[in-house]
Formats: sequence, C-alpha cells, structure tokens
Amino acid sequence: MKIIEKIKTNKLIDNPTEIQKFCLHKLQSRPLPNFKSELWRLSNKSKFSEFLDYSVNEKEPKFDIPFSKNSQNTIRLIIGENRQINLIEENYSIEQLSEDKLDEYFKEQISYFDQNQNWSDLLNLSLSCTKNILGLKINGSKIPPIEIFSHASNNSLSAKTLVIILEKNCDIELLQVNLGKENSSLSQSTFFCIEENSSLNHGVVSYGEKRSNLLNSLNVIQHKNSEYNLGTLHFKFNYARFEICIKQSVGEAKTNIKSMQITKKDEQISTYTRIDFNGPDGFLDQINKSLADDKSHAIFEGSIIVPKIAQKTDASQLSRNLLLSNFAQIDTKPQLEIIADDVKCKHGATISQLNEEELFYMRTRGITLPEASKLQLSSYFQEIISFIPVSKDRWNLLDKLLNEN
Amino acid sequence: MVEENLVKDVVKEPYKYGFVTDIETEKIEKGLNEDIIRLISHKKEEPKYLLDFRLKAFKKWQKMEEPDWAGLGYKQIDYQDIIYYSAPKQKEKISSLDEVDPKLLETFDKLGIPLTEQKKLTNVAVDAVFDSVSIATTFREELAEHGVIFCSISEAVKNHSDLIEKYLGTVVPASDNYFAALNSAVFSDGSFVYIPKGVTCPMDLSSYFRINSGDSGQFERTLIIAEESSSVSYLEGCTAPMFDTNTLHAAVVELIALDDASIKYSTVQNWYAGDEEGVGGIFNFVTKRGKCLGKRSKISWSQVETGSAITWKYPSCILLGEESIGEFYSVALTNNLQKADTGTKMIHIGPKTKSTIVSKGISAGNSINSYRGLVKMGTKATGSRNYSQCDSMLIGDQASANTFPYIKSQQPNSEIEHEASTCRISEDQLFYLQSRGIEFEEAISMMVSGFCRDVFNQLPMEFAAEADKLLALKLEGSVG
Amino acid sequence: MQNTMKESDPILEVQNLFASTDNLPILKGVSLTVYPGEIHAIMGRNGCGKSTLSKIIAGHPSYNVTNGEIKFSGENINSLEPEERSQSGIFLGFQYPIEIPGVSNLEFLRVSTNARRKFLNKEELDTFDFEELVKEKLELVKMDHAFLSRSVNQGFSGGEKKRNEILQMALLEPKIAILDETDSGLDIDALRIVASGIKKISNAQTGIILITHYQRLLDEIEPNYVHVMADGQIIKTGGSDLALELEKKGYEWTDNFVKET
Repeated sequence: MKIIEKIKTNKLIDNPTEIQKFCLHKLQSRPLPNFKSELWRLSNKSKFSEFLDYSVNEKEPKFDIPFSKNSQNTIRLIIGENRQINLIEENYSIEQLSEDKLDEYFKEQISYFDQNQNWSDLLNLSLSCTKNILGLKINGSKIPPIEIFSHASNNSLSAKTLVIILEKNCDIELLQVNLGKENSSLSQSTFFCIEENSSLNHGVVSYGEKRSNLLNSLNVIQHKNSEYNLGTLHFKFNYARFEICIKQSVGEAKTNIKSMQITKKDEQISTYTRIDFNGPDGFLDQINKSLADDKSHAIFEGSIIVPKIAQKTDASQLSRNLLLSNFAQIDTKPQLEIIADDVKCKHGATISQLNEEELFYMRTRGITLPEASKLQLSSYFQEIISFIPVSKDRWNLLDKLLNEN
Repeated sequence: MVEENLVKDVVKEPYKYGFVTDIETEKIEKGLNEDIIRLISHKKEEPKYLLDFRLKAFKKWQKMEEPDWAGLGYKQIDYQDIIYYSAPKQKEKISSLDEVDPKLLETFDKLGIPLTEQKKLTNVAVDAVFDSVSIATTFREELAEHGVIFCSISEAVKNHSDLIEKYLGTVVPASDNYFAALNSAVFSDGSFVYIPKGVTCPMDLSSYFRINSGDSGQFERTLIIAEESSSVSYLEGCTAPMFDTNTLHAAVVELIALDDASIKYSTVQNWYAGDEEGVGGIFNFVTKRGKCLGKRSKISWSQVETGSAITWKYPSCILLGEESIGEFYSVALTNNLQKADTGTKMIHIGPKTKSTIVSKGISAGNSINSYRGLVKMGTKATGSRNYSQCDSMLIGDQASANTFPYIKSQQPNSEIEHEASTCRISEDQLFYLQSRGIEFEEAISMMVSGFCRDVFNQLPMEFAAEADKLLALKLEGSVG
Repeated sequence: MQNTMKESDPILEVQNLFASTDNLPILKGVSLTVYPGEIHAIMGRNGCGKSTLSKIIAGHPSYNVTNGEIKFSGENINSLEPEERSQSGIFLGFQYPIEIPGVSNLEFLRVSTNARRKFLNKEELDTFDFEELVKEKLELVKMDHAFLSRSVNQGFSGGEKKRNEILQMALLEPKIAILDETDSGLDIDALRIVASGIKKISNAQTGIILITHYQRLLDEIEPNYVHVMADGQIIKTGGSDLALELEKKGYEWTDNFVKET
C-alpha cells in the first residue's frame, strides 16, 4: 500500500497546504481505517489495498467528457481543469470560493470529523492539491443545470474535492459524474451546504473501466426548510465505496434518496449512509437497490439517527436487493437508532431473485426469459435512474452502459 | 399524550421476588483459576472428559477479550470477585422431595412454583435450580415411563454420561464467545432433557432458576436433545433477590433436534433489574442456540424479557437439516436504566429451510432497547426463506429503541424479508379507550399487550397470562 | 365425450395428465380434447385443480407433469418453455393478472405481440404501427388509451386488469385461449364488455376454455361442453345445461362423488 507508506513516512506530497498538513497529521496517528468497525468490516481488504497502490499523478492528461450536453445552457465543469468561474447573470450568480474561504470552510468541517467515519475525507483532503479543489457559491433563481466531472487517469490515484454552498432560496439541478479509467483510483469528497428554503436535485453517476477503484464521500448539511433529492448509480468498479452523510441541522427539512449499485465479475461496491436528524419535523424517504451478479459482492449499510430533540421525524428506509448468481453475495444492514418517542420510523430489507410470477406472466405472453429478465431489470433500474436529474434524456446511454458485458 | 409530571410521578410496584432465603450455604472462595475449576469438577464428581472440557474452555477464555460491540457500556466486571460455586447445605444424597430443606421448598412456594407432591403444578414438570445446584425435579417417574429423561445436568453427567459426552458443546462450542467460554469452564448445574425417538413429551417441562446469593454468579447449562420424530415444550423462569451489587448470570442453552423433531423453548425472564437509579440488578449474558440437525426438524424460541439490568442474549437457530424451521418470538420490555440487547441469529445452511422472526421491543424510562439480529443464507440454502418483523414502541421521550438487522445472502434462490417500525401509543387510541370508560393505565397496558399479541400467542397458556401480568406490572407508573 | 363427428384435427389434447407441486399431487388423470370453434367450460370448487390445469397448459415452472401428455396442434408440448407455448398460440388469461411495476404496458404489449408475429412469420411492428393496432383493439374492450402508458397492471382495478388480459388476447390472436376466472371480481357491465370481447376475438378456428364457478359468464358465452372437476379429475362432462344444473345443486355432491370413487 504505497500511499500508506508515504503517509507514515511523511512523503505523501510536496509543499502541502495547511489543510493538507493538518489532515495528514491526523492520518499519521492512525493511517488505516478500523477494519473491525461496522463501517469497514465487510470491505474487501485486498481490494482496498489495490486502491492505495497507485501514486498521485501530478500531470493528468486532458479529460474528454464522454457524452454531449443535454441542453445548450448546461454549465459543465471538470474538477482539476478549472478555469476561473465567476458567472454573474441577471437572475443568478455562481462564484468560485477563494482559497481562504475554502480553508476556513474545511477547518470547520474537519473539527466535526471522526477519524474512522471520515477516513475517506481525511485521505482526500490530504491528497487534494489546490488545483483539484472546486468550491462554488451559488445564489439566485432560474439557475441552469450544472454538470461536474471528476476522473482518475490510467495507472494513477487522483483526489478531487467539491464544495458547494447553496445560498438561501435557491433551486438547482446538479449532476456529478465520477469516472475511473483503467487501473486507477479516484478519491472524491463532496461537501454541500444547503441553506434555508433551498432545494438541490443531485445526481451522482459513477462508473469505471477495468479494475478502477473509487472512494466517494458525500457530506451534506441541510438547513431549515431545505430539500435535498439524491439519485445515485455506481457500477463497474473493481472496488468502490460510497459514503453518504447527511445532517438536517435543525430538522424541518426533506431528504429523498434513491441509490443503486450494480456489481458484476468479482467487483465489490458498497454504500454507507448515515442520516442525522438534529431537530424536529425532519423527513426522509430512502431506497437503496443492489444488484449482484457473477462472483461480486454488494453491501448496503444505512443508519438513521433520531435523537430526543428530533420529535415528529418521519423516516423510512428500504433496502431492495437482487442476487442473481450462486457465487455473488449481498450484505445489507438498515438500522434505526431512536430516542424520540413521537416519531414515525420504519425500514425494510429484502434479498431475492427476479420475481418468478412476473417472469412467468411475461413468458406466457411470448416474451423469452432473457427478454423478460431484461425488462424486469430495466424497470428495477428505472425507479432510480428517473430520479437522477438530467439523466431522463440520457436513459438510453445509461441503459447501454448497464447492459454492457 | 404523556403528561410530564406523571412520568416523573413514578408509582413503583416493588419487585415482588426480591426476598432473600436465609439458608446455610456452602460456598467456595471467590476468584477464578484452574484450581477453582478442578474443585468445582471434583465437588460434582465429574469424569475426566468433563474436567478437560472445563480446563480447555478456561484456557480459551483467558485468551479472549470481553466483547464491547453491543455498546452496553456496563461497569467492568471483576471476575476474581465472584463466587463460582454456591449451594444450599443439604444431606449428601436426597432420595425424595421430603428430604429437601423446607426453607427451599418454601422459597419456591413463594415464587409460585410449589414442588411438593401435594401442591406441585399438575401439568408441568419442574426442575428447580437454586444458585449453583438443582434441588428438585418433579414428575420424574411419570416422565421415565415414557422414556423421557428430565434431571439436573449434574445427574445426567453421572447417569447418562454417553449423551453428555456426545452432545455437550456441539451447539455452542466452548470458544464461541467470551461468556460461553466462561460458562463452559465453571458451569455448576442446569437441566438436561432427552426425548426418545417418536415420543411426544406428555407434559411441559420447566426449569426455574433462582439466584439467592448476592456475591455468586449463576452459570447454568441446559442441554435438550429431541430424537427423531419427538417433540417437547420447555419453559424457563428466572428471578433473583434485590441486591445493590450486580450479579452475573452467564448461562448456556443448547438444543438439538433430529429428523422431524420439534423443540419449543419459552422463557419468561424476570431477573432483578436494579432500582430506578440503576443500582444493582443482574447482568444477564446468555448464549442460547439450537441446532436443527435433522430433516424437517423445528426449533422455536419464544421469550418475554422484562428483567435484568443488562441483557445480552440472542437465542439462535442453525438450520442444517433440509426443510428445517427456526422461529424466534420475543417481547423485550425495558424501563428505568435497563439495557437490553437481544435478538436472534438464523443461519440457513440446509436447503428449503425457513425462519420467522417476530420481535417486539418496548422501551420506557431511560432505558435502551436494541434488536440485533443476523439472517444468513449460505450457498447451499436453496429455496430457503426468512421473514423478520421488528417493532419498537417508545414510551416517554427519554427511552431509546434501536434496530440492527444484519442480513447476508449468498444464495440467489432464497428470500429474505425484513420489516421494522417504530411507534408510540397515540393520543387518539388512548382517548378512544378512555372514552369507553377504560382507566388510563389499563388502556396503556391493553395497548402494550395488543402490541405484543403476535408473540404472546406463541407462549404456552400459563406463561402467556403470566407475561401479560408481568408487563402490566413493569409498566405501572412508567407512563402517565 | 359426446359423439359428434369432428371434421378437423383437435387444437388441444390433454391425455391422462398427472401433475404435482412440491411432491403434492394436484392433477390425478385429466383428459380433455378441444376442437376448433369449440367453447369448453371447466367448473368446480376452489382447490379442485382447475387453475392448476390452466397453469400447466401454459407451462408454469412450479408444477411437474408426472404422467400423461399435453398435445397442441398434434405436437407434444410437455417440454416447451412458457414463451414458446405462447408464441405458438396458447393464451392463458390469469385469474390474478400480475402487476409489474416499472414496465410500461405499451412496451410489454408490443414486445409480446411481436414475439407472436415473429413466430407466425409476420412482420414485426415498430412503435408507430403498433400504436395503430392497439388503438383498434382497445375499442374491443372499451379501454382508454391512457392505460398504455401505465405500468403493467399496476394500480389497475380488478375490472381493468381483466380487460387488459382480453386486450392481450386480442393482440396475440391465439389458437386456444384458457381464461381462468376471467369473470371473478367483475360487475355486470364489465362482465358484458369482457364477454363481448371474447366473442369477437374467437372464431371457427379458435378454441376457448372458460374456467369459472359461476353461471353468469356462461349466460353471456354459451359453452359447447361443461366439465366438472373435483380432486384433480374431471368427474362429469355434459352440455351447457350441466352448468345450470350445477347452479341449482351447488358443488357439494362433487365431494361425495370423490369419496365414493
């Protein structure tokens, strides 16, 4: 594990920034995550070490976005190739956060970090150089859709960081695309702050090529009356972890999550979510779907934390899993931790194959078994895909990607 | 619904089993080492294989770490400050119940478990365990007529050594977990049941565990073997006096069901839970596990957990035999500062195995009530199914309810379904009942027992009624 | 069977069929022959095996045929997959049509219609041509176009589901249609719509098997033969008057009949 050696010997980066130094220092006290903890115990250690076996490539080749814009006014940004962004229009403004502002922001964030829970963020912030950090402050109305790309190039490890502060009374659609090239590792950490009365429709689509790895961490703070809708899709990674941490800072906010991971071959993809309600009247509707084929392993662990202060929380979490092969495995653990008494919380989990009665019905209408399975899988995907902003018109593309191999 | 002042205005029903029996006891010195284990084994006149079993377990235990993953956060236990053997002084050999110390008989009388010929319960055979030893077993002759063996495990070691040697530790290996290892090293007594091939046990069997001594731990061990096509229903009850110290209870229960056999194991656990400040109470760290070894065998656990300061207990089923069935029905009620971490493990190994989990947790006061369960479908468990339902009810805004289901599948042709929900007693429901003239507390207990109905339906008749009463008692004053 | 001269070959021949599920015998020697243009009704109590018979003819994977055979157009179809049976012209109208969330009804109908057309060496229809065809067929069952954009059967009322079944039958133009309790859960108006749909679709070349407990569907569509099933066997066969007799007598006597034999 090259990276860990470098952390230990303090050779990870030349000329670290203050934030990098600080995070590095924290990591040095315990370089590896605790594999006995719930967050890491199912993680495949050898795959995890593959993630850490690449070195950082300072000079990344230019990145070509693999698909075209869906509409003319879409704003497209590639982390690591930033031009200066300063869009001040009649109705809205999108400004880049200065280095000082970012420093300040990260310092505050790091003060809440838990060594184990935020291990991926600590690694990310240790590695992310100034060029690879994109910070935006968004304000106004009728903001065009935004697409942000992160990627790791061949035979290297890249760390990209995204910070978005969505000011009061805004409404945006944002699609984040994380791409892993052959034999690469991508560390992506994302920090969102959604201020009062704002709404964010957020899509995350991550896919890799041969033996690419991903450590994707998403931290969201939602203020009063905000709405956060998240649709995600992770597939084609040798190893991928997606860690989602959402805090409703004072409750009274809405969170909707629809996430999906597809594993084939010997891949391992896991999703960890933690939703904290720090005030009353919070709402959560969450569904995670996994599909595991071949010899792969899909993992979902979700916690919902409802302290005493979070009365009248209404939270529901579903874990739906399809196990398609005799050699694949699925682990799922939806969990509730509740102290408030006046709450409505429920969760559910299922693991099964494709529904046999549905298949039979289609077959009695002349549809062959492979076709019927494909129709069922598409419908299984559709619920999630249709929730990913900007993806509706790209369904064909995603469909193609999903049906490759 | 809940008026604050009423919550605090706790009207406590005293723990009615909290008395101490003043009886001369034989205790060995405090502490745990190889010599103590040899002494226990010697006192019980055990064969060498059993002493070896104990010593091996002890070696393993010494190398193990006390688990902390359940997040129970209890006070460190000093294992050298516990007495590992305590028995009421009695005549060496007791040939009939009449020779049992009347004080002991009186104790069990007070607990509602009369043992003497005239008064004994008519439909249940009872093995009464007092601290470390079994003092009496009723209906032995009647059971023997059917070939059923029901006796203390110490006696079984003497008279049915072959069965003990064959099965002891095969379901819960000595190295299984910290407390199972401890139990394997120092277990003093417990019950043994053997149901021969084709026999339906003519009456319910029951063990009643009583902790009397304040400074000794209780480490009983139960082994139930149901041969082909046999069936048995077994009940277990527990109480302890009120001490302001914590007493350790680390039992091991092993069940084995062969082809077409069925074992139903019901527990009403009402160990002393400590007072409102959380002083005293039993630490209940129990390993219960059943192995469905045979085809179409069935093991069903039902439990009502109301007592103990801390409970750490996961009655589990290993479903090996084809088409075997595992069930777990649980009601866990916690109040004051009680902590319960309970649930089950359903390990599906054989094909077409089925399991059902129904868990109802009720937390009141400042208690923490967690369901923790594992459902696993192994690679060969084709055509297997699990259904789990875990509901929590919270009473008052200081109590907490957690649900941690671990679900793992390696077999596509199997189905797992888990549902969980949290609710409270709604104002509308309460108002509706009250408007029909039902007293407030009565209404609460009606709703709580309604909430638990699915589980109570699984309990044997006498137990269900007792459980209902127990819940009402425990909740009294906790809601206002 | 009644002794009428048959001019053409039978469409469906079920010969001494035994079948079981999970080692439990369900069918215990059923024989039934359907010629073109015939309408058969199978009646009997719940659990007598009539629904099972229909599922086995359609090839449901949960049942094992332990003895006997099913011939369709003279060929043994025991080893055919459900989709092959459908493509060759066997249609099963489900008692409880399955809801398939997320799969659009239009897409489902198009894929299945094309599968049948392909078998018949007819040109497959693109979305546009297919819409034309569907529009025409929708008329038959008095369904609104909006049904097509919903998920298969999801959120449909009982009557809507049954009409969707008949719509599929109209599109697939089967040689034999087995309609399993198509009348259950329908009010009288819906029943008439469904019955008139069935009548319009059937012709001198098609065979129909109606599985039902009640006379009321048979008032709308008069069967040539009525079979009574009990305990996995056909215990009596007669003309349409047998159904009326059953309506009067009920099914109790069928239990006794089984006991006696």
